[in-house]
Amino acid sequence: MNFTTRKAIPLVLLLLLGSVFYALFAGYTPDETLNRSASYYASQTVQDTGAQNVVTAIIVTYRGLDTLGEVTVLFLTAAIVGLVLAHSKAPKGRSGSGFLPSGELLTTGTRMLVPVILLFGAYVFLNGHLTPGGGFQGGAIVASAMLLMLLSDSAERFSHRLISRIESSAGLTYVILGLLGMLFAGGFLDNRILPLGSFGSILSAGAIPLIYALIGLKVGAEFSSILTSLEATEDSQ
Amino acid sequence: MVSPLLILVAGLGAAFLLGLLRDTSERVAFYVTVAALGFMSFVALSWTVSLALGQVQPVDIYTADARPPFAINLRMGLPEATLASVVALIGLLSAVFMRRDLMRLGRQSMAVLLVLIMALSGLIMTRDLFNLFVFIELIVIASAGLVLLSQDTRALGAGFKYLIVSQVISILLLIGVIFTYHANGSLNIDDIAATPMGFTGASLAMFLVLIALVLELKPFPANGWALDIYESAHPGFSALFSAASGTATLFAVLKLFEASGPDWAPLATGIGLVTFVGANVLALAQDHGRRLLGYSSVGQIGLVLMVVGYGADWGVGLYYVAGGLLISHAIAKAGLFWLSGMVKARQLTDWAALRQNPVLVVAFATFIAMLSGLPPFPAFYAKWTLVHAMAEYADYPLMAIFLIAALIEAAVLFRWFGMAIKREATLPLAYNLSHETVVLIAMTAGWVLSFVWGPLSGFDNLVTVVPFLFALLFLPLDILPARIKNVIAIAGLVVWYVTSTGGLDPLRMIFLTIMVLGGALLLLASFHAKGRRMGFYTPAMLMFAGMALLVTSTTSFQFFAAWEFLTVGSYFLILRGANSEPHALSYITFSLGGAFALLAGFAIAAEGHYTFYLEDLSEVAPELAPYVFVLLAAGFLTKTATMGLHIWLPGAHAEAETDVSPMVSGILLKAGLFGLFVLVMEMGRQELYGVDLTVVLVWLGAISAFIGAVLAAFQEDAKRLLAYSSISQMGYALFGLALMNHLGWLLAMMFAINHFVYKSMLFLAVGGVKERTHTKLMYKMGGLITLMPYSFVSVLVGIIAMSGVPPLSGFGGRWIFYNAIMTTDLRLPMILIFMAGPVGFLYLFRLIHTIFLGQPKDELRKVKEAPFWILLPQMIFVAFLIAFAALPGMILQRVDGYIGTLFGDRPLVWTGRIIDSQYGTWNPVAIWGVIIAVFVTVLLLLVWMNHNAQRVKQFNIVFSAERPFKPQTTHFAWNFFAPYRKAMGFLEMPVSTSFWTGVSNALHGTAEFARKFYTGNGQTYAVQLLLFVIAVYLISMGASS
Amino acid sequence: MNLVQISLATGFLLILLGLYGALTNRDILRMIVSFTIADTGVNVVLVAVGYLPGREAPILDTIPVAEAASRITDPVPQALVLTAIVIGLGVTALMLAYAYRLFRARGSLDISEFTELKW
Repeated sequence: MNFTTRKAIPLVLLLLLGSVFYALFAGYTPDETLNRSASYYASQTVQDTGAQNVVTAIIVTYRGLDTLGEVTVLFLTAAIVGLVLAHSKAPKGRSGSGFLPSGELLTTGTRMLVPVILLFGAYVFLNGHLTPGGGFQGGAIVASAMLLMLLSDSAERFSHRLISRIESSAGLTYVILGLLGMLFAGGFLDNRILPLGSFGSILSAGAIPLIYALIGLKVGAEFSSILTSLEATEDSQ
Repeated sequence: MVSPLLILVAGLGAAFLLGLLRDTSERVAFYVTVAALGFMSFVALSWTVSLALGQVQPVDIYTADARPPFAINLRMGLPEATLASVVALIGLLSAVFMRRDLMRLGRQSMAVLLVLIMALSGLIMTRDLFNLFVFIELIVIASAGLVLLSQDTRALGAGFKYLIVSQVISILLLIGVIFTYHANGSLNIDDIAATPMGFTGASLAMFLVLIALVLELKPFPANGWALDIYESAHPGFSALFSAASGTATLFAVLKLFEASGPDWAPLATGIGLVTFVGANVLALAQDHGRRLLGYSSVGQIGLVLMVVGYGADWGVGLYYVAGGLLISHAIAKAGLFWLSGMVKARQLTDWAALRQNPVLVVAFATFIAMLSGLPPFPAFYAKWTLVHAMAEYADYPLMAIFLIAALIEAAVLFRWFGMAIKREATLPLAYNLSHETVVLIAMTAGWVLSFVWGPLSGFDNLVTVVPFLFALLFLPLDILPARIKNVIAIAGLVVWYVTSTGGLDPLRMIFLTIMVLGGALLLLASFHAKGRRMGFYTPAMLMFAGMALLVTSTTSFQFFAAWEFLTVGSYFLILRGANSEPHALSYITFSLGGAFALLAGFAIAAEGHYTFYLEDLSEVAPELAPYVFVLLAAGFLTKTATMGLHIWLPGAHAEAETDVSPMVSGILLKAGLFGLFVLVMEMGRQELYGVDLTVVLVWLGAISAFIGAVLAAFQEDAKRLLAYSSISQMGYALFGLALMNHLGWLLAMMFAINHFVYKSMLFLAVGGVKERTHTKLMYKMGGLITLMPYSFVSVLVGIIAMSGVPPLSGFGGRWIFYNAIMTTDLRLPMILIFMAGPVGFLYLFRLIHTIFLGQPKDELRKVKEAPFWILLPQMIFVAFLIAFAALPGMILQRVDGYIGTLFGDRPLVWTGRIIDSQYGTWNPVAIWGVIIAVFVTVLLLLVWMNHNAQRVKQFNIVFSAERPFKPQTTHFAWNFFAPYRKAMGFLEMPVSTSFWTGVSNALHGTAEFARKFYTGNGQTYAVQLLLFVIAVYLISMGASS
Repeated sequence: MNLVQISLATGFLLILLGLYGALTNRDILRMIVSFTIADTGVNVVLVAVGYLPGREAPILDTIPVAEAASRITDPVPQALVLTAIVIGLGVTALMLAYAYRLFRARGSLDISEFTELKW
């Protein structure tokens, strides 16, 4: 297949796909009012879950099973990336070769910033039910601290074991919380196993902050695990 | 009952728990995994059982204490529970199967496996569209992870291709999901409004969702990526990928098609059918075991998809048919992939390694039978229902395509089976006890499933039919010596005969006698076999079971099931012959083709009734009747090997074992004849486009009789000669039947009996000779009369009977035959069939002359008489022939009377032992007297003339000239009828052989061409995927506008 | 064109661009990057569908609960997009890991060189 056909066929196909999209685009009219799912959430969320952030309530409670799946996606990815890379490690003894040692600026900056970043991450996932943010965002922030540490000194290794313990315990607790919802409240992942508290305060919305904290820890651990696994590949040139 | 949610929780919890274990404790991790999978299986199974027994009602499980659509909900009904059980059990067994590789890769791989099974169960249970997407992505990621279990480095490329394709699919799915949400204000599947296919807004979104899910089913031709995974992945994972993932995804597709309304059903039907056909055609070109399994998976899932679309309005029936197919496929495919893990090398022929372990061969056969829809497995009922539904809605083209594709599939699978049985493996079996256990559990599950599915069908439970059970009994008994089994087999046949004779009309009675009692008689010859003779009795008894059931059947379902039983049984029998692999394959292909023609015929005749009595064939609507007649006749004519449909017969009969040849020739052919009897009796004359179909049959009969005889005369191989002779003889019988008058039918009946007797006798005699001389080629024999006198007598009596000279029963046949043709005005075929008589003399003369007369060969000077047990039935037949010739009234008079009641006439007058007809008189006893007088006179004359003749030694002649280059060409028996060959050799032109070869080549050519699209490039596969989507979009847009 | 239409169009365009890149670039890393572009496009489309003109984010800190139904946008797509993002990320990470492993196996990142499995 020569150069032009190799590119022309996808182009034609994508133009046709574009026409499908165009039909969707042309046929789309934004709703004037909330549809029935959304209006249920708008009116019932506070009463049901006590969360200020409706999106959080949906993520953690109403569509909690999706979120559990989502966490599992990361868990899987971390496990598989570990698997993929564990079995094709670079030859030993060449660690770090070919890379300049990280500079003074980066090392010092890292020492200074990491605690702040960690704190900010925790803040984001603990306030998920009140303000924009939540476990995933917080977890990602936590993992960015990890990234910084990896960058600052590529020889520094974190205990993979610790990361995996945090990840697993958080996941297990999450699942158990879901089960408790089945036992003591209305259904799997129901947040009302804990008192709803006063609307708008940090200790409100039942188990949502707890779950988001677990998610935050888990996501942070998973990202970190992926990052350390990927980092190990840098040795291989 | 515990909550079904625990299936998900257990899988997930155990996966997380594994992370807390030490890196070194793989063993503990493995036990945790197995325990979790066991628990998941237990929960799913307990729900299945309770739901099936009606102890609990289907439940909806709400999460987060909110009603759907506001929170995600799951459903646990009988279909969900059953499929979740299938998925969990396959997961459990695969985990055991993959134990070594899981331990090698550590606990992370086990966690991935657990998540995969969890996600598959979730996919089955969830009722939320977006949740469906999440589970699908989990499955994709977990699958991409488990591909890494393989030690094959190519798996890496396959996994990456899979990820590329999955990305494209998930983009389409997400766009579809969000616009569906926009249209419905809900993500719940049950809230999806039934949208007609029109492609604006909501329906376009629906299209994207449906097509994305269908793409997950690997539809043909957008499936190159999936096949690469099947080929390179760990067989334990391939089992999961095919059986568990395929099953769960298909159920998800089913849910969505149910929700989207009947307008979308044709989409599923169309894609399913194209996939089923395409995958099976491509499978023809495969020589790699796992890739073939991949194509087969794709094809089977396509079939179920077609059912999902086609049966959209069947209600529970859809679940029965689709479920039967799906679960059968899951079990069989998982079993086959597991088996492939025990076969080290990858070629199809390498599966011959299985022969080291006969139990595995039985498992292999079971799985293949499950996939090809043979009784008593669920796919058989599914096929029956599907074809009947297609007939009900008059979707004939669809039915034809479906049946042709099903036939190709069967051919693919049986070709493979034949290789496994007959070829030699390059590497020994990688035997492993736990692997074998896993395979055997799958096999047992297949049988249990059939036992459960049978009674639900509304027909007989075929697993519990007594003759079939009797056949199965020989599987465990196979460890006994052959002689003991033979005694049991004969006793079984006799008992069955005695207990089932009541209430049959004389016609059926005669067929039952030939098939069952005749079978017992022929089995006497099997006492000759030594050792255990593994794998002989089950197929033989299966064949006899089929025939016994055939004759006593009253409904079309029973008839068809019996037909398939006898076909499969005889296939296994024929396959046992030394060089029979290609012949057995062509036999099973033609036979199943014929069987599918029968199925189509019965289905059209039934007009939507799933139970149809054979006697109602006479009341088929007149506009359908001719087509029914043609289809049924085609099916039966395949079995009687009428010219054009005969090419399977010579090889199959000639290459079979000594005692099998008479069974498949003398007895099995009668099944076709019986069918034709039933057909013309019930349906009578039918006209299609002004052509009387019985006249067509008359012509076919005459042509078969004549050309069969000519071809027989030109054979060098004695058993082939007899095989062609069968074609000719069946031609006579067909001719008689199609005359549609009293004498014609009597003639056909005469031929049925006579052909059984003398063909069995001759095959046994020739087989006996072969046992001693180790050849079937007639020019390598000669002068055996003094060495094998009994065999000679039997051949002599056989050919006298067959050629129709007085005094033996063949003459009776001829006499009735001449009477019959005198009454018809079809002169041309009459002349043709008349000519077939003298040609018959030619080959019969050759048979006796070249084997028993003439000069003995040096190397055969010391051969002994044929073994006793092979001679015994022959001698019984000789006695019978003589008795039957003297007293034809014994049987014929009753049949004559019975046929008389059908036609209401009496062309033959029986007075004592003398029979009168319009044209003359037949007095068997007087003929005997005359013959004996003539014979004795001639004998005395000869003795007197030769009183001073001198004996010479064999080589008392003068040799001259050079040594011939090819010794046999100088033997008189080589090309015995050279002059005739010059005159009639054109008849030998393999017209029908070339035709069928052409068909086969065309199919293979198509496959070879089509597989060029599978370039192996992941990017190309993604392009093909998009092309597929666009093509389906454009086609359905055209269809819906 | 209002805001919704602009973002929808942008999303679709990104998807098409991403797919074009993924289907025409032979380099595996470029393919992965292209797919992330397409994924971004999908996410843009997802949030665009949930947007109601003139409304606010579904956080009830300043909006009284009673008025919520008339003042907030649809929260569902925002919840979905989070899941979609995370899943996209997971798949991307997995593809990268695969790319690494493929590179180590063959020393090449050209997709057309991994075709030993076919037919």
